[in-house]
Amino acid sequence: MAKIRIDGREVDVGEGGTVLEAARKLGIDVPALCYREGFRANTSCLCCVVKINGGARLAPSCATRAVEGMTVESETAEVRESRRTALELLLADHAGDCLAPCTNVCPAHMDIPLMIRQIQEGRLHEALVTVKQTIALPAILGRICPELCEKGCRRGVMDSAVSICRLKRHVADVDLESGNPYLPPCRGASGKRVAIVGSGPTGLAAAYYLAQEGHQPILFDEHPLPGGNLRYAVDPAKLPHSVLDAEIEIVRRLGAEFRQDFSAGRDASVTELRQEYDAVLLAVGEVNRAKAAALGSELQDKGLRARRGSMMTAMEGVFAAGAAVTPFRHTIRAVAEGRQAAAMIDQYLNGQLVAAPGAAFTVRLGVLNEAELAAFTTEANRGQRTSVAGAEGFTIPQAKGESDRCLHCDCGKLDGCTLRKYSMAYGASPKKYPLDRKAFERELTHSAVVYEPGKCIACGLCVQIAEQAKEPLGLTFIGRGFQIRVGIPFDGTMSEALRKVGEECVAACPTGALVMRKDAGLPEKGTS
Amino acid sequence: MMGQGLIQIEGPVVDVKYVDQVVQRIGRGPEAVIGILQAIQERYHYLPQEALRRVAEITQITPATITGVSTFYAQFRHEPAGKYILRVCHGTACHVKGSGLVEDAIRRHLKMEAGQNTDAKGEFTIEHVGCFGCCTLAPVVQIDAVTYGHRTSENAREAIEDFLELDRTGETKEKAEGNGRDKSAAAEIRVGCGSCCVAGGANGVKLALEAAVARTGASAAIKQVGCVGMCHQTPMVEVTNRGRVIQLYSKVTAREAEAIVRRHVRPRGLWRRVRARVSTALDRILTDENWAPVERLALDTRDGPVCEFLGRQKRIATAECGSLEPLDLDEYLKHDGFAAVKKVLVEHVDLDLVDLVKRSGLRGRGGAGFPTGQKWELTRKTPSDVKYVVCNGDEGDPGAFMDRMILESFPYRVLEGMIVAAKAVGATDGVLYVRAEYPLAVRRIRAAMAKCEERGFLGAGMFGSPYSLKLRVVEGAGAFVCGEETALLASIEGRRGMPRLRPPFPAQSGLWGRPTCINNVETYAMVPWIVRNGAEAFAGIGTEQSTGTKVFALTGKIARGGLIEVPMGITIRQIVEEIGGGVANGRKFKAVQIGGPSGGCIPAEMADLPVDFESLTKAGAIMGSGGMVVLDDSDCMVDIARYFLQFTQAESCGECSLCRTGTKVLLGMLDRLCEGKGRAGDLEKLEELSGQVKKGSICGLGQTAPNPVLTTLRYFRHEYEEHLKGRCPAGKCKALIQYVVDDGCIGCTKCAQVCPAGAIQMRPYQAHEIDPKKCTRCDVCRTACPVKVIRIV
Repeated sequence: MAKIRIDGREVDVGEGGTVLEAARKLGIDVPALCYREGFRANTSCLCCVVKINGGARLAPSCATRAVEGMTVESETAEVRESRRTALELLLADHAGDCLAPCTNVCPAHMDIPLMIRQIQEGRLHEALVTVKQTIALPAILGRICPELCEKGCRRGVMDSAVSICRLKRHVADVDLESGNPYLPPCRGASGKRVAIVGSGPTGLAAAYYLAQEGHQPILFDEHPLPGGNLRYAVDPAKLPHSVLDAEIEIVRRLGAEFRQDFSAGRDASVTELRQEYDAVLLAVGEVNRAKAAALGSELQDKGLRARRGSMMTAMEGVFAAGAAVTPFRHTIRAVAEGRQAAAMIDQYLNGQLVAAPGAAFTVRLGVLNEAELAAFTTEANRGQRTSVAGAEGFTIPQAKGESDRCLHCDCGKLDGCTLRKYSMAYGASPKKYPLDRKAFERELTHSAVVYEPGKCIACGLCVQIAEQAKEPLGLTFIGRGFQIRVGIPFDGTMSEALRKVGEECVAACPTGALVMRKDAGLPEKGTS
Repeated sequence: MMGQGLIQIEGPVVDVKYVDQVVQRIGRGPEAVIGILQAIQERYHYLPQEALRRVAEITQITPATITGVSTFYAQFRHEPAGKYILRVCHGTACHVKGSGLVEDAIRRHLKMEAGQNTDAKGEFTIEHVGCFGCCTLAPVVQIDAVTYGHRTSENAREAIEDFLELDRTGETKEKAEGNGRDKSAAAEIRVGCGSCCVAGGANGVKLALEAAVARTGASAAIKQVGCVGMCHQTPMVEVTNRGRVIQLYSKVTAREAEAIVRRHVRPRGLWRRVRARVSTALDRILTDENWAPVERLALDTRDGPVCEFLGRQKRIATAECGSLEPLDLDEYLKHDGFAAVKKVLVEHVDLDLVDLVKRSGLRGRGGAGFPTGQKWELTRKTPSDVKYVVCNGDEGDPGAFMDRMILESFPYRVLEGMIVAAKAVGATDGVLYVRAEYPLAVRRIRAAMAKCEERGFLGAGMFGSPYSLKLRVVEGAGAFVCGEETALLASIEGRRGMPRLRPPFPAQSGLWGRPTCINNVETYAMVPWIVRNGAEAFAGIGTEQSTGTKVFALTGKIARGGLIEVPMGITIRQIVEEIGGGVANGRKFKAVQIGGPSGGCIPAEMADLPVDFESLTKAGAIMGSGGMVVLDDSDCMVDIARYFLQFTQAESCGECSLCRTGTKVLLGMLDRLCEGKGRAGDLEKLEELSGQVKKGSICGLGQTAPNPVLTTLRYFRHEYEEHLKGRCPAGKCKALIQYVVDDGCIGCTKCAQVCPAGAIQMRPYQAHEIDPKKCTRCDVCRTACPVKVIRIV
């Protein structure tokens, strides 16, 4: 046994034990991307570095044997900085999207590929849950959304974008038509009440998510009926009031109260509302100077003054979101902001520091050249975009057919990727070091495993696993230095290389370089 | 380099029987892989897939190992190559003397597009070599076995033409080394036959001398000796009589051989004439720039420059430099050869060898300067039934050729040092790992080992003692990182040369997991002297912390470059000015690059810095293996930093994220600076990432790779700042300079004739102009201008 101290805590490790094992024994989360128990230390990612006995250098804990009396620092600024640099260098030439381009482009960052896989498999209810995690009013948006996601759709480069918006509408319509629409689970009542001024898309979305957090939303609106611009500015031929009413009804059933013919400033000042409620959200849509003044706020850049991120105005506990702050045309942004406001208000009500959630971490693959696009679309369904008449929705077979066109650009290992996990934990930026990303390639010969060399961080785990399993062909490092890559000997294929341990390699792979085929098993759960 | 030319060359038909024979000869075990691949490539000029598959079939070597190993080492080609391999040396000395321009010129001549490595006729395949170790002949180009020194963008094509001519007449094959000289003759004519000399034409000179002796019937023996050290004077011929040096000739050609022979049997008239010419020509001709093969020069060791060159030196590892025939075992014995071993094995002098070496203060000459005695002690005390002794001859630093010279010139001394070490630590097996770029060193050490075995100096019962040491030579295959000891051991075991984290040290767990004493060539070469003369004698030389002497390869912009051995603690100024004769061509001494890619640039202002381990490390450089490249005011320090980063980046094994990608990012930043695309904050970023790479990498390569960047940033920051503003003060960075014709152009049109880019319009008798848009900055016009009015701005 060797007794050592890590960050001031004493720990015993067995004969020949490593510092990493000791740290894990203490429950310290040391990022070790290239390490796997029972295998030789690869000392490749260098994310597990620690400082030993105050030395000048840092040492990879995975390969450093614990020696009696050793002093280890694993959480100092110096160590964290080195780990972050290692992560940033691993990200620098990473050829892959964590999140699909459509998700990145969508102001609400909806997990579109997941929704599509669920539609493909006929699991429409799960698809709806996926949608409603970020979009409170999908049936409405399915009719009036400007389809920004489709502009980001990589399929558009190949032929034409997947009809994402209509798929989302399909999911929502099926739910509404079921007669028993989905109501998300809500936390127990917090006893907190939030006044939402304005029941347009921002206010409705905020109410939808606040209710889920257990807070009671009360929506004040100057019109006789809720919906704001959705009811009074949008052409009912495009957005039938029946659809609008149905989705408002869901918000009501979650516990929201609607107070109509109420004008803030006239019927009650914002200060008064603030005194009566635990928080106030101003979601009144576009404002002019007079309206701003009536709300007790200054007009700044054509909107109410509110802090970016936290969305709180100068008045404590009073928030502003949507077109009231920034005039815009896209309803999807209003809905996205309503959701963010709900999150901010929830934080505020829980007494936490009000901090905006950062954008979800993602590496971006960017534009593909011709060869890369060909590789990307090798197995793409060749069907044309399903077109239906203006106001019509998809039938179930149409939705299924359209879903089949999706290229599934999101990473197959979004949750299991330790590179992503620790990049988030260490605040590593994929753009810190400007390097050209690797080429996008995809090896599809294996029946269960997909290999994308562009995401490989050369950790060597799969090489070792194949070697130990005595795979006849196996895997090997090819080349050296920056050109190093994991490949198959003698220009062989993955199906020849991994006859026995394909799944094990996928499980060990710290990134999305080796993943199970998306059609080989159940799709992953959504993350955001 | 993999020959990934755009030209598709038909591969040869693979003879399976040949592969079988190779395997039969070399072995079937995993450690045989590199040797087998080398043999296959020797036959086919590349590694045909079919042959590799056959190897996998009939050996224990897995496909993963074959593909992994064959793509790790730069020596191996995976595509058919041209008929001849044209290697352009990009060592430091070659780089600062314009190897880039030379390669451009060759590519133009062979009409090769960028990214294409084989010409359209399939005749020549261009490859890069990190360093041939012929730095005093820089820039160097090698075509098959023929080496051409002092190439310029102007004369590069001549090498190709000359080679094709030689090839037609069948003279391109390497000649076997001659022996069997007449040892009874009083007069001895010595020809330096180190690689530099051979590259300079020494073999031809030697054959011509032998022919002349035969023709004239003179009583003279032609003796092939090792490196003389004065590499700037190659090929060198020394005439001695009864051991006394009568005359030293430098830069001799075969044509002049007969004259030299006749001179020493005929009246002195001719000799006087030559001598007169010498005294005026000496300083001029001593400069590398004036190297002209037709020029002949006789040197007297009493002449000032020669005396200064040799005078400050103290020879231990290179003792009897220039007088011993490398493979003459009897001669070595006459010069105290194997006296150390006899003392230890035969006379049983009560010596604690580990203690002796510890007291001598000897530190590793390979780079880091780890105390040798400590290594030996640890190896000795680690219990094991089998221990190894390994010699690190993988001298990969560009600009360094000490180990090559020692192996070529004093193979017995290295073997003797290894035998002593083996006895000290209890090793019974050993390996000399020598890089494949040093074929002559490999041949000599193999021959020396054979002779020792023949005499009973190696193997079971060596020297009549109960002791046994079996040695073998393993050739590297082109990977700088294999100079790192754990990578080197991996390479001997037939694996990719990936270093591993230490501890455990090789002394505890080395080759095949056994305790292994691994030292550098030069370190071993010091050992016999220490055993003979005592630890105190060695410790009495040099400084307190850095004892003894150190061999340096003095190259670059220096008047008298060569191989020198000096006491530790000598100052840079003494080396550069007194031994090296100062900077060549009247330019200004700017800096010395010490320690190759792991080292740094010491500015001229710090020339009084003593050369010892501690002082150099404090200054941000390291002793390294001993490359010392002198830089003058025409050298751009950002370019130098970029040059070394390019080297380490290409040589990184790729294991550690910090080194693999970190060096790539650093190189990218330096590339942008050299292109005038630097951005504010870049210098800070360079410093920060350099620090991270140093701190976090697991082996010496990554830990020291940023040193050239950090030292140049430290001492020449203003040059970086100028680059940020889009200026290169030294006029080196192509993107930041322009060529202009000054007043005084005589309208000779020469520049326009030689310009490969059509950037100069021919205007007889009028002043010429250079179109900066078409100009490729190849420097051809400037060197061609007879009135020297073309200038870089």
